[in-house]
Amino acid sequence: MSGRHRFIGPIVALAIAAALSLPGMAHALEVKRVKLDNGMIVLISPQHNLPMVTAALAFDAGARRDPKGKEGLARLTADSIMEGTRTMSAEELNRKVDFLGSAMDVGAGSDYATASFTSLKRYWRDTLKLLAGVLTQPGLRDDDIARKQAEQIAAIKAAEEEPGYVAQTTFLKQVFGDGSPYGHLPDGTVDTVQQLSAQDVRNFYHEFYRPEGTVAAVAGDIEPDEVIKALREELAPLKGAVAPQRPQPLAPIGPGAHVTAINRDVAQANIILGFGGIARSNPDYYKLQVMNYILGGGGFASRLMKEVRSKAGLVYSIASFFQAALFPGSFQVVLETKNKSANEAIAMVLAQMRRIQESPVSDAEIESAKKFLIGSFPLKLDTQNSIVQFLLQVQIYGLGLDYIDKYPGYIRAVTKEDVQKVAREYLHPDSYILVAVANQSEAGIKVANGAPPSAKQ
Amino acid sequence: MTAMQNITPGYFRAGLSVGLMLAVLTCAGGAARAGMTDGVRKVVLPNGLTILVLENHKAPVANFNVIYRVGSRNEQMGKTGLSHLLEHLMFRGTKKLKPEEFSNLIQENGGEDNAFTEQDLTDYFEIINRDHLDVPITLEADRMANFDPKGFESEKSVVIEERRMRTEDNPQDALAEVTQAQAYLAHPYHWPVIGWMHDVQGLTLADALNYHRIYYSPQNALIVAVGDFKADDVIRQITESFSGIANGPKPPPVTAVEPPQEGEREVMLRHAANLPAIAEAYHVPAHESPDCFALELASVMLSGGKSSRLYKKLVIEKRMVVDVDTSYDLLSFDPTLFWITAQMRPNIKAADVVRVLDDEIAQLAARPVDQHELQKAKNQELAGFVFGQDSIFREAMMLGQYELIGGYKQLDQFIPSIDKVTPADVQRAVAKYLVTSNRTLGTLVPTGLLPHPAGGPGGGMVRHAPINPEMPL
Repeated sequence: MSGRHRFIGPIVALAIAAALSLPGMAHALEVKRVKLDNGMIVLISPQHNLPMVTAALAFDAGARRDPKGKEGLARLTADSIMEGTRTMSAEELNRKVDFLGSAMDVGAGSDYATASFTSLKRYWRDTLKLLAGVLTQPGLRDDDIARKQAEQIAAIKAAEEEPGYVAQTTFLKQVFGDGSPYGHLPDGTVDTVQQLSAQDVRNFYHEFYRPEGTVAAVAGDIEPDEVIKALREELAPLKGAVAPQRPQPLAPIGPGAHVTAINRDVAQANIILGFGGIARSNPDYYKLQVMNYILGGGGFASRLMKEVRSKAGLVYSIASFFQAALFPGSFQVVLETKNKSANEAIAMVLAQMRRIQESPVSDAEIESAKKFLIGSFPLKLDTQNSIVQFLLQVQIYGLGLDYIDKYPGYIRAVTKEDVQKVAREYLHPDSYILVAVANQSEAGIKVANGAPPSAKQ
Repeated sequence: MTAMQNITPGYFRAGLSVGLMLAVLTCAGGAARAGMTDGVRKVVLPNGLTILVLENHKAPVANFNVIYRVGSRNEQMGKTGLSHLLEHLMFRGTKKLKPEEFSNLIQENGGEDNAFTEQDLTDYFEIINRDHLDVPITLEADRMANFDPKGFESEKSVVIEERRMRTEDNPQDALAEVTQAQAYLAHPYHWPVIGWMHDVQGLTLADALNYHRIYYSPQNALIVAVGDFKADDVIRQITESFSGIANGPKPPPVTAVEPPQEGEREVMLRHAANLPAIAEAYHVPAHESPDCFALELASVMLSGGKSSRLYKKLVIEKRMVVDVDTSYDLLSFDPTLFWITAQMRPNIKAADVVRVLDDEIAQLAARPVDQHELQKAKNQELAGFVFGQDSIFREAMMLGQYELIGGYKQLDQFIPSIDKVTPADVQRAVAKYLVTSNRTLGTLVPTGLLPHPAGGPGGGMVRHAPINPEMPL
């Protein structure tokens, strides 16, 4: 169901995967964890049911490392790395990867840049060699970078055709402010990407593609020892560490609704309402998972879905989520509704936030939430890719290799009082950011003097 | 390779990734290892319900699908979108269940559920903790037998919102819709799965109830279950729950046949957008023709991966497009379309891109591809097929789709059939089908730039001061 979160980059993938829990699994996940001499941490889970291998390396080179004014650099660097090595052209690399039938990519999310591949078992070593080649000796030629830069600009223009994308970029800017690590999507903007130089890309690569602290996760039809040996050999040229990042804490949002109304000739108002949230390390994380499931994260079991979609028929999609990553992210409610219903839907969202703050949730609701969160965990480990994503999070967020066993206890411990307490602490229906991309003359987003009519419960 | 999400769409009830689905349908197909279907158990109940069950013990989960042989293909002019609206209503209650109780029960049992509608079929599925597979089995039988939806009008509003989101505010999807409508004149693939707006607005509860009575019978359904269970147990549970369900009337056959296209068609869409785009659609046969495997490989050679012909030419060399893609679904019930789509860089003219595409296709038709390039495409097919099996949902869908077009065992023939394709086969198929007189060309003409989101002069963005806290929104 993660497709509902129209968010870009691993940040959200991570938060979502982590948000899915697991019961006492009869199938324990076999994992071997080692630290290589160069400081890279490797987690390997043999999966022998299919002759294929999936791997991902998470470098501390995500978009949160973009220098101010150079937003989009992490993505351009990741994309440019995929354009061949010092001795192999992009064309030759592409042909080789495709001939193996492998999928291979380097891409930047908000927190991390991820280098990954999926291959048939018999070609995993060849595929790893190709990926290691671009990671250790990328070509980073001026002409290739210029092409990727033009593609990135065009891709941003294409994405801006989607009202939801415009709402998201605007919201992030409003909630985090300029210069914050999460204030922009990895794409950057047309203006900032235009100003990037090939040298910026080469500098970014040298600064952030370092092995120490990088996490590699591998799942597939392999044995841990052969993977460790291969990674040692292929990634030997990488050395050193990345300087830690210490962002400023989020500035609180002042009282009231901070509204950005963007006018467009669209059929639906695309609305994001939210504020600053939490880091993954926040001890209230599990309480918030339960609370958010009931509020707007639980699909058709959630109050927002019940009220705004099932009863009122105002939306096709509505969801809330905490973007819990390395540093405090945002909380968002995302919805689309016909322009004329915008104020009504917004009022319903605020009413539901207040309701979960003012009254305890029912026994049935909290039990239902816990049963889902605990019971559905195996669903999140049923493909090689989901196992790889899980292992990356276990390491990056320090969850521990026994997380699978501990998670049910974390969820079971949450009480109705906890839910109400975290709703009061972390939801701010009187102090929030609202972005609405809409036909404003139809939507008439109420600001300043007009609160929208309060919705029926 | 999965590009045209918007063309052969699965309209999900909630936002589940459609891209995943299409990856199965377009590049999967055959068995990685000989006899992948050997473990499949097939049972047909006396009431006509077909059941396919496959054990897969890699993770403690199970996938359960009820596939109905009905989609937009079975609809009538003026009532388009009915298959999809009915799919939504299936979650709105039965004689026993309240609206949305279905999903709540699945979730409480550690599962997720959803459904999607396509041109040819409608699939309801659950992925659930293996200990609770009895729950979806019981609930799916209940909504097949005891359909009784509440809140018809509000669910219709939800579907209308879905159409606004998917099509009205999405220039690529809107372009695909008009292009497809121009390509099909007589066959029901003419209209979009989600239906025309005015048709959807006019659908009634009586329409939906009647449609359910005709199409949601055991004889018109196929169950596919894959997961960590004992096949005997699951077959017994399914039999117990479904064997007592009676059939409705026999669904009428779809008899429409699209006449041969004789001459190029063009359609233009003016829509708010930043970038121009084109969609080319050629009429091609699906699985019923042995040419389907050559067309499948032609699609891979044209757009599969960054070494493909169109990516190399249009993205890397000429730098004309943001993205170029092809799509071909050989599992379509009736003859289908071979799509080529491209989103241009700013200031690139559609006609120039069309010329390059024509040139690339002419080259494929003029001389045989070399063996290395063909082998590359075959390797991509094989790998894609194995990767597809990593998801039990995809595995189930592959089995189900093959069963619907003539038997799940045909799945085992996909890779061998791909392997047999020769350079001459590809050349012949391209020369036969990818010709301009058999093409519909759709062009998206952006109607001016959108307001810049950062709000330049006249940018249309209004940043308001905080509201008085006494009068919060």
